[in-house]
Amino acid sequence: MIDPVTRVEGHGRVTVQLDEAGNVDQARFHVVEFRGFERFIQGHPYWEAPLLVQRLCGICPVSHHLAAAKAVDQIYGVDPRDLHPTATMIRRLLHYAQLFQSHALHFFYLASPDLLFGMEAPVEKRSVGAVAMEHGDLARKGIQMRQFGQELIKALAGKKIHGITAVPGGIHKTFYPEERDYFLSDNVTPSVDTMIQWSQEVVTFIKDYHDKNFMWLDSFASYPSGHLGLVGTDGALELYDGRMRAIDSRGEVTLNDVDNDSYLKYFGEGVEKWSYMKFPFLRHLGRQHGWNRVGPLARLNVCDSISTPLANAELREFKAYTNGRPNNHTMHSHWARLIEILHCAEQIRNLLNEPRLLEEVERPPVSRRPEGIGIIEAPRGTLIHHYKADEKGSITKCNLIVSTTHNNEPMNRAVRWVAKNVLDQQKAITDGMLNQVEVAIRAYDPCLSCATHAMGQMPLKLTVFDADGAVVAEHVKHPV
Amino acid sequence: MRILIGIGNSGRNDDGLGWVFLDRIKQEAGFSADIEYRYQLQVEDAELISRAKHVIFVDSYHGVLPGGFKFEPCKVAPDSVFTSHVLPPGAILHLCRELYGKKPGADLMLIQGSSWELHSGLSPEAEIRLGRALEFFRKKLPF
Ligand code: NI
Repeated sequence: MIDPVTRVEGHGRVTVQLDEAGNVDQARFHVVEFRGFERFIQGHPYWEAPLLVQRLCGICPVSHHLAAAKAVDQIYGVDPRDLHPTATMIRRLLHYAQLFQSHALHFFYLASPDLLFGMEAPVEKRSVGAVAMEHGDLARKGIQMRQFGQELIKALAGKKIHGITAVPGGIHKTFYPEERDYFLSDNVTPSVDTMIQWSQEVVTFIKDYHDKNFMWLDSFASYPSGHLGLVGTDGALELYDGRMRAIDSRGEVTLNDVDNDSYLKYFGEGVEKWSYMKFPFLRHLGRQHGWNRVGPLARLNVCDSISTPLANAELREFKAYTNGRPNNHTMHSHWARLIEILHCAEQIRNLLNEPRLLEEVERPPVSRRPEGIGIIEAPRGTLIHHYKADEKGSITKCNLIVSTTHNNEPMNRAVRWVAKNVLDQQKAITDGMLNQVEVAIRAYDPCLSCATHAMGQMPLKLTVFDADGAVVAEHVKHPV
Repeated sequence: MRILIGIGNSGRNDDGLGWVFLDRIKQEAGFSADIEYRYQLQVEDAELISRAKHVIFVDSYHGVLPGGFKFEPCKVAPDSVFTSHVLPPGAILHLCRELYGKKPGADLMLIQGSSWELHSGLSPEAEIRLGRALEFFRKKLPF
């Protein structure tokens, strides 16, 4: 079968450098080889962007589609507030479906082996296959939640893969009553009510799990950081269209609900010789202090509330655990992700019951603009698409900041934590120890194909070197 | 139900071989199987193939294949997978057995690619190998 390491050039790497005494000298998470999607898209008409960006990543095509659509709306001449309400509803529905299925995959298939079998479990246990064998009900439920999200995406986009939902200033197709009703009742896939119930069950699972395992969940790879995410005008969690808010590790506001089109004013992108992935930071705080986590943990930290009742009650409990202060426990990302699953399921039900969801959409009259910026909260965090187009409508410039890039510095901190606390001064580096590096990275659910804009699958390599540069231990993982 | 699953990305030259194979074969007289396009396989594909009598995974191959392509039975891979976003076909077969108790017939059709750049369309070499793979598969029709 295809060797994923060689199929597409480039990969993520974790390198740990030991000194003569076996202490960790340096630990880094980085990405080698970079292929420019930004160049690829130049010269294409702007309205093709929402389609072309789906090729950027096989894991997150829907997120890129929506971020690009929001950006090209503006080039077309429409601001988010002027989009037809039905178009906004359809796009939101698509977005919640994507978040729901992406988070479900992460919990049931990527994170659950670590949680169910423990970090020191032998390698054959830490697999999807092992979960299937020992926790079949859980694994099947995970698949059904995935299918619910995927079916909804397919219904909205026409196809599960390279379909179209959004077009500049509107949507591609009207949603029909029979399509909607499918998700309100039990069919091959259970109804949205069942999805809400199952989401509640997994939130309960993670809270029980936390009660029993808080020692390691609260300490493992924890470190203070800034947090960034979108919020609504009322300060509530906002995933599709909101203003950017950031706070520091103590909860002081560092970015006060700013508009999307000002991102260039506030964000810089740092470069390091050893990594192709950039390091975004808040300019006024500088490269050293201005970096932020993004994703579920960050989003729950920056928001004041959640608009849906069940998820909001869970948010209250989540925030109470840290007495209302920012939660810097990396492993609580899993808890936060499941609260978001519940919110998405509630939102999907709300939208499916909206009478206006089924209206036909007319695109508003417009006048073209030279530039557009689209920002959404993708499953992994804040995703920024920025395009410029000439008077003929050809794209002249494209800049993307993806969630995994925002999390570059945070993931490096997490790797350093494991290096210092687990790998340091060990006589031998075991498989279980190396896995802990991945557990720390996995909390962020990184998407390396997004991060490199490489349009390919990116494997992850872990290597520990001794003082002479010899390899002490190595792992090669299939693409993440 | 019989199903062909094409894996790849047509925005990356020959990585699109799996998809183009489906595009072509579906136009052949005598071809009536279901087809699915994937950037990569997903856990829920285990449920999908559990409803099939036979599944064929079609993918590009990075490396040399005598004759330019390879058609072979797909083996079950119980522990080949670590937790990542990508699942090989053997792992999907394993999940299908474990979760749904089904054992569909399964084959792999691998076609050698040579170019993996950020462009649409196949390289001329891949186009020739694709032709051979299609010619081979035509003998299996009706499918
Ligand atoms: Ni991605």
